[in-house]
Formats: sequence, structure tokens, C-alpha cells
Amino acid sequence: MKHLVYFTATDHYVYTWSGGKLELQARLAADDTGVSGFREYLAGRRGALFYAMADLAGEDFHEEQIPYLRGGDRDQVVQRRLAQRYRDTRLAAALSLGTVSGERRNERLLLTSFTNTQQLAPWLDALTEAGTKLAGVYSVPLLAPALAARLGVKDGRAFVVSANSAGLRQCFVEEGRLRFARLERTVDMEPEVFAAFVRTETGRLAQYLSTLRVLPRDGAPVRAIVIAPPGQRAAFERALVSDARLSFVTLDAAEAARKVGVKSAPAATGAEQLYLHLLVRRAPREQFARREDRRSYYLWQLQRGLVAAGALGFAACALFAAASWLDIAGKREEIRQLSVQTQESTREYQRITSAFPVTQTTTDNLRATVTEFGNIARRTAAPAEALVYVSKVLDEFPQIELDAVQWRLGRPEERASPKPAPGGAAPVAAAGQLAQVLELSGRVGAMRRSDYRAITAEVQRFANALRADPAVRVVRTQLPFDVTSEGTLSGDIGTAAETGEAPRFTIVLARNLP
Amino acid sequence: MNFTNQELKTLALPLLACLVLLGAGTGFIAWTQHQQGAAARELAASREQRAQARERLMRIAEEEREVKEKLEVYLRLRDLGILGDERRLEWADAMTRIRTQRELPDLRYRVERQRLISSVPGNPAAVDFYASTMRVELALLHEGDLVNFLADLRESGNAYYSVKGCSISRTGTAPTITGLAPRLRAECEIDLITILDRAAKS
Repeated sequence: MKHLVYFTATDHYVYTWSGGKLELQARLAADDTGVSGFREYLAGRRGALFYAMADLAGEDFHEEQIPYLRGGDRDQVVQRRLAQRYRDTRLAAALSLGTVSGERRNERLLLTSFTNTQQLAPWLDALTEAGTKLAGVYSVPLLAPALAARLGVKDGRAFVVSANSAGLRQCFVEEGRLRFARLERTVDMEPEVFAAFVRTETGRLAQYLSTLRVLPRDGAPVRAIVIAPPGQRAAFERALVSDARLSFVTLDAAEAARKVGVKSAPAATGAEQLYLHLLVRRAPREQFARREDRRSYYLWQLQRGLVAAGALGFAACALFAAASWLDIAGKREEIRQLSVQTQESTREYQRITSAFPVTQTTTDNLRATVTEFGNIARRTAAPAEALVYVSKVLDEFPQIELDAVQWRLGRPEERASPKPAPGGAAPVAAAGQLAQVLELSGRVGAMRRSDYRAITAEVQRFANALRADPAVRVVRTQLPFDVTSEGTLSGDIGTAAETGEAPRFTIVLARNLP
Repeated sequence: MNFTNQELKTLALPLLACLVLLGAGTGFIAWTQHQQGAAARELAASREQRAQARERLMRIAEEEREVKEKLEVYLRLRDLGILGDERRLEWADAMTRIRTQRELPDLRYRVERQRLISSVPGNPAAVDFYASTMRVELALLHEGDLVNFLADLRESGNAYYSVKGCSISRTGTAPTITGLAPRLRAECEIDLITILDRAAKS
């Protein structure tokens, strides 16, 4: 809930505003008894938010120019100009009217204050002492540009004329900025008389502003938006006839209230309800109170700002999290669909595999068992084939007698024969390849031991015969007599009788596994 | 604008509220980010699972053919007694039977303890391949006895017989009139391989 204090020359009104509804709480005399009553009203309202709006006749408006400055420098210059203009600057304001481009850039200011600030001082002191929050001290003219905009005048020049409780308020607005205002006290009059009075006063104000050259002497007629009291619009329209200087637009008070957004106001309230409503809804930046008078309000704003910043940050985080959550929800939906598709594929797979032959085990184990068994079987061979092969070759060599045969699976040690057999190109085994290795040990019978040439030739012939199968290769041949240059050759010539056994030989064959 | 201590105290609670709200918001984001990461990982896994399921379904015809082929071998292994636990008593029976049937003069054997030679990952359990090495010494009348012995052994089943090596040598005994004295002696080393499929239904 917000509180508003409306100051007039005779009475001060305390309103509360909540949800667009204005309610009168107290009407106080503009004297010491009023101040006492105001203090009583403020009792128990510590921390309440107050807006003060003055509607007084003694409001000064003075245009000045200052160098174009910003920040603290501008504030200092403005305060100095206000101090030069007014004796008491407790309630003084400087309204910017824009810049002027000349030899140097200047800012136009409208300095404004009340000729008698002391009439408001006790009331403001009471607010401070009660611990309330003073949002600011405003005057009705400061709100005139906002009212003009709400009534459709957003640019150009216009008079906004309204019948307030304090009197006839006339404000001159140019390009959305206040330029001048005056308050003419009124008494009870007939509508026709009051309308004529409004016509006369508006014309006088226009004439005055022309004299000051605020209004051009020649030019388009200036709009005058007149808010007629309830039920007096017809009389106003008859009296307010436009001419070459003024173009009147008359609005009924109810219509103006609707345009401003007032939902409810006390019946006896004048057009000030429009300004009060605008003050609460959209208070202008410019106001009269000093910074120290508004300290509680600044502190309160800072508190609200901190909480609002936290809430805003939380909302932003929540928004981001919500976006992330939408993404998560999308992903989960996709996961659900993928899961359904996977289950469908699995069910289809199981349906088809159920028609497979009964395997006694799982498909994976069936595959693993048979594949590994195949690997083992490929590394296995039986010696029968090799023995039969050697036996067939041996049939052609009756002088050869085998003493021992050794068959094994392994990697043969490749050693070249002393003399590679002509035309017997054995296949070259891959290094380390598993093979059947057959080692034949025997001797050559029916030959004289001294006939080493014949014995050697017979063994070599036997070895060559063993190479008949291209898959078989002779890995090593150890002859009865070592005829290689690397070996030792020994003999026993001249002995009367040949003694000992027949010379022995060794042949190693290899056949790769498929 | 300078603040008094009293004014600063009045700002403490709003400041705390601001920090709590910002902290809560940050925590909220962190939590959703964590959830988002988990969902992304789960989505990737689901996509992979679907791809695997579909690929398996597409390969089902090939798998059916493979199953049929391999099942034939598997059943043969089962029928031969190669699948399952070792049957050492059956092995001893087979050795005795072969010696008798082939009238081998002398047959000695020794089976070593079983060892694991290979373990293949399967589903739901691995398939283990075991081997027990058997060393055989036998007296031969001629080389054919060895070939026949090995053939009989393979036919007897109850294991897969992988011959690692055999050596044949002369005994040096002179042939007699009756001609029944063994002239050769053979020594062989044979792996008796059995397979234990832990997923097999008994």
C-alpha cells in the first residue's frame, strides 16, 4: 500500500493507493493543528511509503542554460544555479529541456521551486521523524507531461487545463516537457461561468507566454486539453471555442480517468486524482526533495534491488535449467523410443531364433566351442600318412635300412642340405609355421664301407626321392661322410679287413600343416 | 552515498537473500547439467544397444546357417564324449580293449594331470579346453600296429586325441622261427583334449 499526501494552500489530503484504487484517509488543515493530526496519522506507520504532491500557487519556473556536463560536475553546477536562484533549496528541482547547439553546447534547464517552502517543511519533517519512506516531493506540473501523453499529446505544444481541488491548474507542455504552469484559485461557479473563466484564463496564459516568447506570436493554434468537471463537458464545449491561437479539446473527467487508468477515486476529488494516480504508477524522475530527505527510500530501494537481483538471477537460472530440463526430457523420450525399438528387435530376434535347431547351449557358446575346436584340430595331424609315404619311397631303395623313425609336430629347424638336390625345389616354409617333422635314421647296407662315393650317392638319391611330393621338403641331410668344407673328413685306408657297422645317415623331412 | 552501521545491518538480510537465491539458482543449473550429462550418456548407450540389436537381427540369416553348421560339429563332439568332464576310466577301458583286439605284445601308458590349454569367452559363461597328456610305450610287430593303435584310439572317443609325437625304433631282437617277437618299439605323446561348456544343458 502506498500513501499520498496532496498539498493545497488551504487543506492537505492523505490518500492511500492500492490496486488502482484511491481512498481518502484524512483531510488536514494547512496549519499547526494539521501537522499535529498528520503526526497522529503517521504513528504506527513506520516504514510506510509516502509520495508528496504539492498543488500550490507559488511555484516558480525559470529557464537557464548551463554548459553541457554529466555526472558529478553537472550536479554541482545545477546545485549552484539553484542556490543562486532560490534562497531555500530544500525543495528545488532542475528539469532538463534538452541541449542547445551554438558556439558551445549548452543544456537548457527549467529551474523550479516553491516561493514558500516553509509551509511544507513541518510536514516533511513529520514524515522523516515517523520513519517513513519518502519517495519524493512532486508538484502537479511535474506530472503534466505524463498526463498529456496519456490524453494523446505526445509531441508539440499543448496546454493541460484541469479543475483541481486547489484551483484551476494550467500547465504548458512542449515536446513532452514542462515549460510553465500556474494555478488560479477558484470559487464555486456555474458551469457556464466556470467554462468562460477557463476560456479567459487559458487565453491570458497564452498571451503571457507569447510575451515571454515561449510561444511564437504567429503559428499554428496551440492545443488546449481541458478536463471538464463531471457533468460539465457540454457547457465547456460551448464556451471553449477554438480560434487562431488556441485549439480546445474538452474531455470529461470520467473519460480522462479511464484513459489514465484510474479505477476508483473518492467522489469529491477533483482532477488531482489523475495526477495522484500517475504519480503512483509512473513517478517522474525529477522531484523537489533533497537526497537526505529520501534516504530511507533509497535504502528501501536498495533492499528491494538486492532481493530483486537475487530473484532475477534465480529466475534466469531457473529459465536456463528449464531449457536444460526440456532437453533432458527430449533425450529421455528418445531413450524410451530407442528402448522400445531395441526390445522389438530383441523380441523379433528371439522369435526367429526360437525356430532354430535345439542347440543344447547358447549360440555364443556353440560358436566359441566349435571355432576353438577347429583351431585345435587344424594344429593336429596323425603320423600314419607320413609313415606310409616314407614306406613307399623306401620300397625303391632295398639297400637302405632305417633304424629309427621319429615323428613330431613342431617347428623344424631349417638347415640347408650340403648339396641341394637338383630340380628338387622344396617349398619354403613360412617362418615358425607348424609342420609334421619326420626324422629318419638309417644306414646303407650291401656296400663296402670304403665305397664312400657310392654310399653318399645312394643316400642323396634316397633324399631326392623323398622330395617327390612337392609338399615335403628335406630340412636336413646328414651323410655318412661329411663332404662339406665346414665339416671334418676322416678315413681309414689300407686296413686289411673292413670292420664295424655300415655308415649311418640322418634325413629330416617336414610337411607344413594345412 | 555512505551508509551508517545501522543502515548496513538493514541491508544484510536482503543481501543474504540475494546470495541464497543466486546460490540456489546456480545449484539448480548444476543439478540439471549433471542430469543432462547422464541423459546424454544414457542416450548414447541406448543408441548403441539399438544399433547392435538391429545389426544382430540383420545378420540372423547368416547366424542361422552358422548355427546349423556348427551344431552338427557340436553334437558330434558331444556324441564322442569330447564335451564334458574327463572319462579316465573309459580311457583305461579303451586301452585295454585295443591291446586285446590288436594283440599287442606290450602296452604301457601314463596319463598326466589335466591342464587348461584355452578358455574362450562365451555367453553366459566361458568355454574351457583341457588337455591331459598321455605317454604310451608299446611293442610292435610291425609299423602297422602303431597306425592301427592310433586309429583305434581315435575311434574310441571320450576325448580328442592330438598326437604330439611318436618315435619308432628297432628292438634289436632277431626274428624267431615263429616270427611273433616284437621287432619295433614305439613311444608316443598324445594330448587327450576335452571341452567344458559351462552353458551346456545337462
